[in-house]
Amino acid sequence: MLRSRKLNGHQARMAYLFISPTILLFAVFTVIPVFMAFYLSFTNYDVLSRMDWIGLANYRKLINDDLLWQTFRNVLYYTVIFVPLNILTSLLVALLLNKARMGVKVFRTLNYLPTLTSAVAAATVWLWILHPEFGLLNGFLGYFGITGPAWLSQTDTAMASVIMVTLWQAIGSNMVIYLAGLQGVPDYLYESAKLDGANALQRFRFITWPQLRPTTFLVSTMSIIGALQLFDQAFVLTQGGPANATKTPVYLIYQQGFNQLQMGYASSQAFVLALAILIFSLVNMKLSKAEESIV
Amino acid sequence: MKKWMGLALSCFMVLSILAACSKNNDNNAASSGNSSPAKESSSPKAENGKPVEITFWGDWGGEGQKQFETMVDAFNKSQDKIRVKYVLQQDMITKFLTAATSGGSPDIMFWDRWRTDLYAPKNVLHPINEYMDRDGINKGDYYDEALKELSHDGKLYGLPLTVDARALFYNKKMFAAANLQPPTTWEELATDAKALTKWNGNKLDVAGFSLGDAGLFNMYLQQAGGRMMNAANDATDFNNEKGISVLNLWDRMLNQDKVYKIGFEQGLGEGTDAFVTGKLAMLYTGPWMLSTYKKFGQDLDFGVVPPPAGPNGDKGSVMGGFGLVIAEGSKHKDEAWEFEKWWLANKDNVLLWSKMSLNIPGFKPALDDPFFKDDPSWKPFLDTLEFAKIRPQHPGYSVMEGDGLVPNLQLFLEGKQDAATTLKKAQEQGDRLLKDNAEAK
Repeated sequence: MLRSRKLNGHQARMAYLFISPTILLFAVFTVIPVFMAFYLSFTNYDVLSRMDWIGLANYRKLINDDLLWQTFRNVLYYTVIFVPLNILTSLLVALLLNKARMGVKVFRTLNYLPTLTSAVAAATVWLWILHPEFGLLNGFLGYFGITGPAWLSQTDTAMASVIMVTLWQAIGSNMVIYLAGLQGVPDYLYESAKLDGANALQRFRFITWPQLRPTTFLVSTMSIIGALQLFDQAFVLTQGGPANATKTPVYLIYQQGFNQLQMGYASSQAFVLALAILIFSLVNMKLSKAEESIV
Repeated sequence: MKKWMGLALSCFMVLSILAACSKNNDNNAASSGNSSPAKESSSPKAENGKPVEITFWGDWGGEGQKQFETMVDAFNKSQDKIRVKYVLQQDMITKFLTAATSGGSPDIMFWDRWRTDLYAPKNVLHPINEYMDRDGINKGDYYDEALKELSHDGKLYGLPLTVDARALFYNKKMFAAANLQPPTTWEELATDAKALTKWNGNKLDVAGFSLGDAGLFNMYLQQAGGRMMNAANDATDFNNEKGISVLNLWDRMLNQDKVYKIGFEQGLGEGTDAFVTGKLAMLYTGPWMLSTYKKFGQDLDFGVVPPPAGPNGDKGSVMGGFGLVIAEGSKHKDEAWEFEKWWLANKDNVLLWSKMSLNIPGFKPALDDPFFKDDPSWKPFLDTLEFAKIRPQHPGYSVMEGDGLVPNLQLFLEGKQDAATTLKKAQEQGDRLLKDNAEAK
């Protein structure tokens, strides 16, 4: 007993030693800047000439900043649609590609490919596909006598188009994570369930889904964070337009900080975004805890 | 034994990372505190016989970089006291933010002029008034509006390198086929555009006129006889009958005459540009597109005329362009000025740059050269520049336009908001954005 504890202690020491480079880099490039930004959010820092303490003035200004709240409404809408769809489609694709059949590796590769393309390049291609007059999508709809909308230039469809493009790009990596999760579900569970007469749907509901709980938690947390920080694809596709319908907080923070030199105010906006991400992640944690694992 | 080695190895790694980090910190600390005269004196001065090296930052790569380097080489060959080096900074402004206060500052910079109002009050640009007086440079040689855009609080921060303004490009073949003359008034613009538009059922084959960029409102407002900002330069001034007349023109062309469809040009690159492929008969763009459109030669027979005048005969266009500014953090401001003066206050050098880069220079005497006088494609732009006005000089102007005005105009173009509401909301939101971004002390 004593011996094993001693070994554990030694192992723990080694473990800390091995992760220390990463922790150190994390501290220097992430933790310290976060504390600095927190301090800056109470100043009128402009990068170039001043950094005076102005108390809560930035946060008071936030309350009346309609544009900021609109960008938050935009990403909330985006998150609420994007995250469930992302989980659903990547899980479905993973289930389809989990079988050991001929050619399944080819399909896995094909599904993963969009993830490998750079966000900006992919968005440029989608600009073409979604073009109202010469685009593939509206050309296709044209065969059925439907005049498609100007997807990215109309307020009603712009965000939906952004969701579609980002989903197309996000599924690949989440599919891989789900595939790994599916491979980890022990076969004997399925075998005994089959013996007990459980059908495919029941096996999914009572074995696969609960067993994938940690995987789903990972995927949902990552996509919530990614969704709330939406920037590059939306920016290339629509530049935040039309009528600010796809403008996101990250875009606004960048503009306020680097283009308008109001880094203090931009820091306070960034903290509101961080808070929103924290809240969403906590809710997500609660939801995933609520569903207790069976095994 | 093995364990011991592992421990030692990891210790070493950690220490080396620590060392690397702290080294960087030291460097930063040393350089950030450097307005130090010690460093200044340690740098070689021309008197020692060694040439002074100065750094020139710009964010133009590719062709632009070659053009800049040609100018730099020509300057370096012309004398032996100063050596200029061009450094391409893709993300120049962001880089300058940190460099300006931490010692890595460039000496001279390629500068998008409208930024002056935001940066000059922060004391990171060096005024050139004294140099101008000392060397007897005549301000009258430059476009007044361009100099204005490079000034703040009575101080001048640089000389204009290029000037540009949008004018009306039109497809000559289409105009000949429809037996039309290029428009000179809004009325002619609307009727011409209507005549040139071709629909095929629900599909727009040829758009008569581009209404894709709501950001051109400023230019239309000038043509209507209005202005974007009030006389005190602290609030918007477009929520009036002049603003309404612009929106009425847009509504007529887009929704009644249907000469354009929203999103028609979005995402089309150089080779598929709607004007190049004959899907667009007229558009507003600037001299920077001349070289692109000329590449298509016979396939694209186009002409340019100054922007059509509004209902009361008012003309309007927005002047933009670049200049060269000297950084306050530079240790060789005198040498940087020598380079700027050589390039921008000498007709031969101005022409060398203009002919090579096909830009209209801000230095007017160069425009008398046959290169500009004899080539008819310059004339409409030179005419337009005579009445073109710069953007209002307010640090929050671009935000007001981009986040307050344009989104409302887009709602109007989509038919989701009437003209009166559009201008009212644009005014409210725009005025708040101006106020929020006003203080730039």
